Amino acid sequence: MTVDISVLIGGEAGQGIQTVGLLMARTCHRAGLYVIVVNDFESRIRGGHSFIQLRISDGPVHAPTQDLHLMVALDERTYRLHQSDLQEGGLALIPKDDGDTMVQHHQCKIVDFAGLAQKAGNKILSNTVAAGTCLALIGAPFDLFENVLKTTFEQVEEKRLAQNVQAAQYGYAAAEEHTFRWSWRWDRTSPKGRLIDGAHAVALGALAGDCRFSAFYPMSPATGIIQRLVDMAAAVPLVVEQAEDELAAVNMVIGAAFAGVRAMTATSGGGFSLMTEGLGLAAITETPIVIVNAQRPGPATGLPTRTAQADLQFVIHASQDEFPRFVFAPGTPFEAFTVTARAFELSDRFQVPAVILVDQFLNDSIFVAEEAFEAPEAARPFTITDGDLDDPTLYRRYALNDSGISPRALPCRGLARVKVCSDEHDEAGHITEDAAIRDAMAGKRHAKYQAMREQIRPPEVIHAGSDIVLISWGSMRGAMIEAVNQLRADGINCGGLHMIDLWPFPDAAMGEILEKAAQFFVVEQNRTAQLGQLIRQQTGYRYADAVLKTNGRPMCAGEITEAIKTKLK
Amino acid sequence: MVSINDYHSDYPNHWCPGCGNFGILEAMKAALAALELPPEKILIVSGIGQAAKTPHFLECNYFHSLHGRALPIATGAKIANHHMTVLVNTGDGDCYGEGGNHFMHAIRRNIDVTVLAHNNRVYGLTKGQASPTSMEGMQTKIQPGGVIMGAFNPLAVALSLGAGFVARGFSSDGDQLRDLIQAGIRHRGFALIDIMQPCVSFNQVNTHKWYKDRIAPIEENHDETDRISAVRLSLGTDDRIPTGIYYRRESPSYTDRIDKLKDKPLTDHRYRPELLKALLTDGYP
Repeated sequence: MTVDISVLIGGEAGQGIQTVGLLMARTCHRAGLYVIVVNDFESRIRGGHSFIQLRISDGPVHAPTQDLHLMVALDERTYRLHQSDLQEGGLALIPKDDGDTMVQHHQCKIVDFAGLAQKAGNKILSNTVAAGTCLALIGAPFDLFENVLKTTFEQVEEKRLAQNVQAAQYGYAAAEEHTFRWSWRWDRTSPKGRLIDGAHAVALGALAGDCRFSAFYPMSPATGIIQRLVDMAAAVPLVVEQAEDELAAVNMVIGAAFAGVRAMTATSGGGFSLMTEGLGLAAITETPIVIVNAQRPGPATGLPTRTAQADLQFVIHASQDEFPRFVFAPGTPFEAFTVTARAFELSDRFQVPAVILVDQFLNDSIFVAEEAFEAPEAARPFTITDGDLDDPTLYRRYALNDSGISPRALPCRGLARVKVCSDEHDEAGHITEDAAIRDAMAGKRHAKYQAMREQIRPPEVIHAGSDIVLISWGSMRGAMIEAVNQLRADGINCGGLHMIDLWPFPDAAMGEILEKAAQFFVVEQNRTAQLGQLIRQQTGYRYADAVLKTNGRPMCAGEITEAIKTKLK
Repeated sequence: MVSINDYHSDYPNHWCPGCGNFGILEAMKAALAALELPPEKILIVSGIGQAAKTPHFLECNYFHSLHGRALPIATGAKIANHHMTVLVNTGDGDCYGEGGNHFMHAIRRNIDVTVLAHNNRVYGLTKGQASPTSMEGMQTKIQPGGVIMGAFNPLAVALSLGAGFVARGFSSDGDQLRDLIQAGIRHRGFALIDIMQPCVSFNQVNTHKWYKDRIAPIEENHDETDRISAVRLSLGTDDRIPTGIYYRRESPSYTDRIDKLKDKPLTDHRYRPELLKALLTDGYP
């Protein structure tokens, strides 16, 4: 990569910093560059300290970076907190009002964002001025930015577009006479894929999985998924209901799935805790449901707007007793799309709950997704009707067979009467305490594992056959792969493994790979190396060490490479 | 023709002899037969408790779910396929205790389900603890000094939340109860029938005789479309327990108010990937 710079735009919540970041990201994307926009915000609507980090590169980037080259400090705190991260030669743009109070430094440039905005017609155009100045500094041709503004405001109002273009021009003019150290000559190539956040990708996956109903209770960072579903619902047969609590949400989803539609809910760890009761209900009644757990640090309320990967062991084991379930953890928007669609199909096929682990970083960050998102041509039905039965009046919902998957009919769709029960039940669905039937039913549910395992995909292997292997799951993929490449560039024979399908655990595939590695390290956002423990439990192979981060901020490749180098010393 | 016998279930009954649930079960069968609803056309959702076992004892589709969660299950099922006739068998602990929050919000949604709340004012399945509707002062093994909470008033709560059908029945008055259940099923929207019943095993206060001395049909001059009168009736001014329809007024149910359900139920749609084409290429422009 010859271009790899990072821009931080910080201020109080409500100052529109996301607008600045998004305008810049879109401009860069249109020129064929790769970007990632990471949102770092507090759990408040106004005030506090929020920032976004925009990383721009001419090669794929999937994680934030520790280096900082350009900063827009809309308040004094932003400058104070991030000035030490500025690289030598970096630059901080500071609004005129705050210019006097901020530390005067050769790295600061005062730009009168508000004054220029006012001159263009309205003070709220400050964001456009700021984006303009930054884009000018890094060498972006003006017409690219102008086109982004056109797409944004053309349909809103002619006057607003004109004002925005004027504000952008003032922003560009403010950068004149300043040479930014990392400015580069922009070669325009066609845009790479599209810009998309993880939450949007999960919602698209749900539609591709034929989701017809979703119930939820608002909880960061999961709400974005539901918002996306609602935004798209007009085009598809989908109903979204805000439930009174997470207990209701998961049970509504179970009710809808029982009646015959694919259904999902999305929550975070706290909500998942409440849904655990429903998870067990879905399991014993063999009702297919999909639950997305968008992880954040906890326990209890924890850090509502921050990221974590500390619910892996929780969701694998959640609920009393034992039953089969799927657990997936996508690492990119494309994986989030495909995995979510797959989760609906597999849950329906095996009549088991499926849990998808995402997190705040994946959900809220904007990535370049180059892959085409394709919906399956058909959704295979996994239910039966009267026509499939010799005598529908004798239908038994939990008929025993070797696969453990009893043919599932739907209620009120024919003569077959469908009887399901959260008590242990007989084949007909009636309460039973018969010891032999209990064993047969628990065994039948467990028997599904065999065929479920066949659906589990092996991990992604990066530089197969390396001595040292870094292992990630979920959203750590980007930082892990970048770290692998950095370590290789430094002469270390390093490869990577990225796990998406986590349960049933791919014991054999993992064992085969780990047998050949001299040593392996797990990279996770929790305190106890939960995947490392799981690998040891399932394969017997012990991780040499772990690179862990639990402060709620996403991992950067640099943190991993530093840690690995220290550990290898 | 649908007959009461069509609802016969071979599954052996679990209730104590003399339980009020038997009267409720027979009234249900009679009401369903009178409405010409065959067993395969109805879905009964229940929570956990003696009342919640009801669907095992008559032929139907059923979802015997978790304690307190019958209403959200019923809500999800009804949204998925609003052509189903959905009944909920629940108890005072199930509906007003563990499921209290769901009770409030199911009423607000006006989801078209008929709720039969078997209200015996005591916990039967767990052997005799106080329930939300136990009378203040009632002694139990767990509350030896008497219940020190005021009793939950389901009818007043339902009326205050705008429920469109609020009635009270008595398990020993089968004919009236049958008529109430029929009216409740016919009502488009949320219907609550709170059913007084003795618990011969664990409630020695509200016995069959105790009810007989107090139960009286609502006076004929009561205007069932007058919500304020209904609230007054539900709050009670003397010892009497009025039975019958306290309040009835239809308004569009939850599923009536969702445009995309007007055409057909969600269950009846085909998967159409072409609908997704435009959405799948979407992102930040």
